[in-house]
Formats: sequence, structure tokens, C-alpha cells
Amino acid sequence: MKTLRLSRRQRALANCAPLTEERIRDRSMRAAVFRARGSNDFANQQSFDRAVAALVRAIPIPPEAVEWFSGKDLISPSKWTWKKTARNPAVLAIGIALVVIAGVFVFNFVGRLNDFPGSGTARKLLGIAGSTRSVLLDPVTGDAGTLSDLFFLKHGLEHYDVPAEFADFRTIGCRVFDDDEAHRVAQIWVVEKRMQFFLFPAERNTKTGAVLQFSGWRYVHQEGWVGAVTERNGVCFMAALRGRQKDLAPYIPKVKQ
Amino acid sequence: MMGDASKAQEIFHTTLREAAQRAAQGELPNERFWVFRDARWRCLEASKTDLQAEPLEMEEQEMTEAAVSQIEQLEPAHLAIWISAAPEPQRTALALFYLDEFDYREIVDLADLKLSELSRLLAVGRRQFQAWLDATFPKSPTI
Repeated sequence: MKTLRLSRRQRALANCAPLTEERIRDRSMRAAVFRARGSNDFANQQSFDRAVAALVRAIPIPPEAVEWFSGKDLISPSKWTWKKTARNPAVLAIGIALVVIAGVFVFNFVGRLNDFPGSGTARKLLGIAGSTRSVLLDPVTGDAGTLSDLFFLKHGLEHYDVPAEFADFRTIGCRVFDDDEAHRVAQIWVVEKRMQFFLFPAERNTKTGAVLQFSGWRYVHQEGWVGAVTERNGVCFMAALRGRQKDLAPYIPKVKQ
Repeated sequence: MMGDASKAQEIFHTTLREAAQRAAQGELPNERFWVFRDARWRCLEASKTDLQAEPLEMEEQEMTEAAVSQIEQLEPAHLAIWISAAPEPQRTALALFYLDEFDYREIVDLADLKLSELSRLLAVGRRQFQAWLDATFPKSPTI
């Protein structure tokens, strides 16, 4: 029979090889036995061990002792527990990943719950409100409600009307600009709580071109700013201020949202 | 481990009684082999009080194909006595290995050995046992 060269560790493992290959539970032992099994020495060792083990099994065990182990394994397999499983790094990593994914889904779902036609544009304009400096606006002093005529006469913007609830607010300045989707947006800065108003075209159905209407006032939040949006005649009006919804709520009429 | 059925049985019962008491008090160790570790410790303690054989250099012989037929002629009690007379930790290593219930990692853990030590103890044990077999069942001279 051929004799294979074994490393020191493999020789050590081969010396401890179980009586049958079915009982091998680890790869290093399997590799050592695989390399050693061609040799006469290992074959003799295995026969010797099997014969001794057979003799050991023949050692009489008192009946009282046998009763304890009848029908059961001498060694119970290690218990499966939730605690043990949870401590497994792979399970832990998967768990954390699932929690993060679930969190993102919930966040998006909750965000979508408050969506309405034009909410995307409204959020973008809140971002603009946060970065606008008063010097960018044309100084205009007067009531916000009077600017509708200015927008129509100077810029040809029809129905860019400030709702009656906000029409009496004194203005600091205003401007008209195109947003990144080439929509004409009117921005008004008022004295009251340094609030800003935005007027922009309402969202339309991409196929029919019909205005996607919604009733009442809807709130949007972005980067510490809050806006209350309503739609009339195909134009959305948004009152925005830095703060929370409760700061803006007193100005919004108590109607169904 | 003991080479004496009555002593082994006494240790067995003591170990189980201890296990039952601990279980009743909810103090079972969270360790898979604690019963075996406990039983081994009791065997070692009991062996201390026994008469100890003087340490002597045992002969060693390489295993032969004839070993199987030699072993088949043995009485189980002879093997038990031979193993129980081995010095520690060789006795534990041989007893646990030939019980054929533990793998080498479990034996290493139970007997507080390294793999190289277990390997050496088993290899030497086999050769010594072969030498003892040769002495007990001499080969008939070939003509």
C-alpha cells in the first residue's frame, strides 16, 4: 500500500481518528483521514481501535445504570435556543439589515401617506425658502393680495392669487422665477413671522393635461420648514415658515384637510 | 476508568445524585459535558486513595494485523483493568476515546489536553497495549 506524507498536525489528527468515517465532524480530520487511509499503519490502527471499542461495548453495565440511558443518546445534542441564535454574528447582521430596510419602508410609507398632487414641488420650494435672502427679491411694500395684478400684468401669470386668509399680510418683497421644471413660480416675502408665500402651477395629468385637484390645505415639511398648500384654479398657493406645523396652523382656516 | 464495577457504580450514582440536586435547585451548569467532567473528577479523587502501581517503563510494540485476533481473545474485564491501570491523563484519554461517544475535540476539552498530547497518549497507549497483548498471547513460533 502507498504511504502518503502527512504533516505533523495531520499525523496527530490521524492518531485520534474516529472508528468510522461517518463520525468525522470536521474538515481537518476528514482531510487527515483521507491522506492517511492508504497506509498500512493507519489500516492497522483502525482495525485495532475497532476491536478494542467492540470489547469496550462488551463490558457489562449494571442494569440500574442502563435504565438511565435506555433509548437515549449518551450525550444530548447542544440545545437550540433563541438567545444562542440571536448571538450568531450572521443572524445579527441579517437582523440589523432587515430592521434598517423595514425602517426605510415605513419612513417612505408614512411620507407617502401625506402626499398630494404637487407635494414634490412644494418640498423643493421649501428648500428654496430656506436659502433665499431678502436681497434677491424686488422690494415691494403693500398687501400680499394686491400682488395678483402685478403677476398678471408684468409676468402674464393668470390666477396667481393670494388666498383671502393671507391677502392682508404686509409684504417685504417678491420675485418670479422658473423652477428646475420650467414652471413659473411667484415668491412673496411678508413681515408676519418672516413667512414666505409661493404660487406655482398645480400638477397635471400627464396624459389628459387635466389639473390634479385636491381639497383644503395640506402640510409639507422639509429641512425645518413647514408649508401649508392649497389649490385653486390650477394654481397652488403655499404659505411657508421656519418652524413646526403648530406655528403655521393658527393661520390656516379650520376646514377639512 | 476505575477497573472496579462497584466503585464505578458508586461514582455513577453520586454523580447523578449531585446532578439531581443541582437540577432541583436550578443550578445546573450551562456546560454540555459537565456531568462527564464531574464523573471524571470523582474517578480521579477515588483513585487517589487506591493503591498506586509503581511507575515503570512499559514496553511498546508496533500494531500488527494479528492484534485483532489477539483482542478478540480478551475478556472485557481485562481491558477495563488494563485501561484503569494506565497513568493519568492517558487513562482518561483511552477511556473516552474507546467509549466511542466523543470526538477528539470533545476529549481534548474534557481531559484538558492539547491535540498533540491526546495524539501521543493514544499512540503510545496502542503500542503498549500491543506489547501487553504480545506478552499475554505469545505468537506461536513459525517453523
